[in-house]
Amino acid sequence: MGVVCVYAFPVPEGKSGQQVVDSLQKQVELLGAVKTGNFSVDCETYQANTQAGTLTTTPQRLIHVLHNSEQPASCFSVLDTGTTLIADVLFDVLIHKLTSGKAGKEAFYQQRKGSKMESKGPRYELSDFIIKIGSVSMASNFKGILVEVEYSPCSVPTECWNLMRELMQSFMGNVAETPPTLVKNKMDNFYLPGDTINQYLEHFTNFRKQTVMGQPIR
Amino acid sequence: MALAGVTVSIEAVHENQIQEVTLDGQEICVPPLSMSECLAKSAQKIDFAEEDGEEKGKTTSEEETEAQEKESSAFQPSLWPWDSVRNKLKAAYTETGVLLDVLNIAKEKKYMVLAHVQQDTNEPKSALQILAKKKAFGLQSISSGLSTAASVLMGGADRLKKSQQEIGNRQQTEFHFELHNLRQNWRLKKVGNSIIGDLSYRSAGSRFWQGGTFEVTKNTMLPSEQVEGTNTHSALEVVIPSELEGSSYVQVEVKHVSESTGLMHATLKLPNSFGKYPADAHWQTKLEVAQNVLFCKELFSQLAREATQLKSSVPHVVVGNQIFTNIFPSVQLSIILCHATGKGDEKSQPRPPKVEHNHVLEHSLHQLLREVHHKTLHLDPPHPVTATFGMTKRRRLAGPSGMSRADLKEMSESETLLEQIIKQARHEVLRVRTMTTIDRLASTIPDPQIMAHWSCLNSSLQSNVKIIITSNGYDGLRLTWQSLDLEIGTDSIKVVTKDRRILMLSFLEKELEDLIRWQVSQHHISLSQNLARLMGWQILSYNGCSGVGEMEDFATASSIQLVAPNNDRMLSIRSGITSGLHVYLKIDSKDSLDPSLTALVDPKWLNLSGTFKEIDMEQIDGRNFAAKLEFIMAMVKQKR
Repeated sequence: MGVVCVYAFPVPEGKSGQQVVDSLQKQVELLGAVKTGNFSVDCETYQANTQAGTLTTTPQRLIHVLHNSEQPASCFSVLDTGTTLIADVLFDVLIHKLTSGKAGKEAFYQQRKGSKMESKGPRYELSDFIIKIGSVSMASNFKGILVEVEYSPCSVPTECWNLMRELMQSFMGNVAETPPTLVKNKMDNFYLPGDTINQYLEHFTNFRKQTVMGQPIR
Repeated sequence: MALAGVTVSIEAVHENQIQEVTLDGQEICVPPLSMSECLAKSAQKIDFAEEDGEEKGKTTSEEETEAQEKESSAFQPSLWPWDSVRNKLKAAYTETGVLLDVLNIAKEKKYMVLAHVQQDTNEPKSALQILAKKKAFGLQSISSGLSTAASVLMGGADRLKKSQQEIGNRQQTEFHFELHNLRQNWRLKKVGNSIIGDLSYRSAGSRFWQGGTFEVTKNTMLPSEQVEGTNTHSALEVVIPSELEGSSYVQVEVKHVSESTGLMHATLKLPNSFGKYPADAHWQTKLEVAQNVLFCKELFSQLAREATQLKSSVPHVVVGNQIFTNIFPSVQLSIILCHATGKGDEKSQPRPPKVEHNHVLEHSLHQLLREVHHKTLHLDPPHPVTATFGMTKRRRLAGPSGMSRADLKEMSESETLLEQIIKQARHEVLRVRTMTTIDRLASTIPDPQIMAHWSCLNSSLQSNVKIIITSNGYDGLRLTWQSLDLEIGTDSIKVVTKDRRILMLSFLEKELEDLIRWQVSQHHISLSQNLARLMGWQILSYNGCSGVGEMEDFATASSIQLVAPNNDRMLSIRSGITSGLHVYLKIDSKDSLDPSLTALVDPKWLNLSGTFKEIDMEQIDGRNFAAKLEFIMAMVKQKR
């Protein structure tokens, strides 16, 4: 497992998301990267059902279930407290059981409507680097662009940050000036698969907030 | 007649012992022994215990106990309340003892032998002969006919008698006993009246289509009718299917073929003695050989299937019972299934006895197939018992540990038998090549010694060797060492030099040779460098790849300049791979300087002038270059 940095690439005004993605792809291809298929990271959010009888003063508990095509055998789930669980894909079945009510009983969790987010796009390989340019969509609405860069031979961010920055700045410019906050917090530690998912989740929540804030303006 | 009145009384000599003499002088004799008593007495004289030490303990102890009993009975009064019980117990005990003796006598042949009383067996024969003779008196022809008929009948009677005897000797249970033995090693089942066995590897995890059933029958042949020279006879016989008869093996050959000869050209050579085993061998050997045939067939069919499916730049060729693959250019691996039925062997011509058979590879082939069998049989147990079956532990933990796509892909890849054996063959070829190259260089290059230390721990795909280049007599000085490690892989050699540089060499031995030669030339220079340091000389310059002088065939020459401690002598050494080693010496002399300047000039400026002259190293004393150089340095250093 290498070190992964995920950045939200801003879409300048007057340009559509697709145009930006295309230009990014072109730049990456110019660097000599080879396209090796597609990738996708998806996230679904579930919330705990408040029991009808009990008075709940605590806010609703959320659970985010994410999948990453880079780890096809795993299913990630993150609580809003930040606890991350990495499980087998069979965890989906468990979630399905928890969300489906049975015999008049209400289910423990219910899915938040319209909260499914996904980052999809092409995957490139440039010797030791893996570059993924994903366009984020929420309920089939385009939300933004996420660029993921992985340097596979190294798993301690300090050791390879400068190298990664050099590569990222060559096609992303100033976006990749500093490491993502999550990576910055554990520069000297081993980078784990769960960290990638947390980075994605952070971006997904940001996109969601933007939508909520943007709605009254529209 | 004077003595007529004297009466002479004659009486018989006392043959019997006198038991007692009464007071009136009368003697009471012991009555003479009867015949049976006499026998008993003489029998008593024979010491049975002497014959068999083993039985001695038993019988004597019994006697002792009896004697003790008698004594105790003699001393104890019969008025004891438990007397009747004791008596009865004693009687029972005696009876048991007797029973034991009887059983012993009946069971063990040494006490009592039942001998056949000689009977007149000639009776029927003589009767027939008399009859024949009678008839012969009248009709000659009838007599001859009858005599032949009689001989046939006689033969039959003899045989019947013999078989009767033999059956008597040999227990009927022998067949069942052998069947029991067979059952311990082989799978048997009863179908109708016949017993069917299975010698295939199905139960061991094989999925080969061909079955290996054999039938177990009773051997009706008598031991006396057996062929001379065979001493084993069993009551049981196995019938092996015709396609598994004979014996077979898989021949693995690594051959060097020139480019011109086609891949298709190969001859099957069989060792002469192969494929023959006696027809009346023991069933165990028969079954084992048949099982081996089945195994070889499965192995070969598996390899052939893989060879046709496997894509490679040079296609694998499968012809009949042969598979050819190219492992390196002009090196061919051929796998041949040899199956000798043992029938047509007498006719075949004596073949060349030398067969380039690679036993190691054959063995690893067998091992690989057995591994496949083992894998099909030994699946990892499902972890929660409700989980899917056949998942490896690594695969199970892949999800929770967040294994990446590349790792998962790597895990799912499995190598076929053929790929694995090709890899092993490649490694073996490469190892042998490296070995011969090093040995050849070590014997052709005398001056620096080349030593190869082969690691004793190696796998079938990797082995390591450390090459140490040193000068004889200077081995103790670590400074004068030059070492490199070779890691021989499947199709390339990884070299780690002394300064931890990593070089990858291909399978060509020329590359390795060049490398070692280059290291040897480097060794000379580093040796002189270190020697100079030890002798107090100064190193003026060192050039790892000097551009002047003769061109080398490959790589570059290196050179070093050394100055004596008092700055008046200089040595220049140049070591090339093909051009060899050259040592030049410069001695500056005052003569070369303008005499008018001698008074003015500091002696150090003298060092600037002078010319280098080559030293003929052949003329210098010393075993090797190191010794010679040390000698030169010591000589030259002396003050003028």
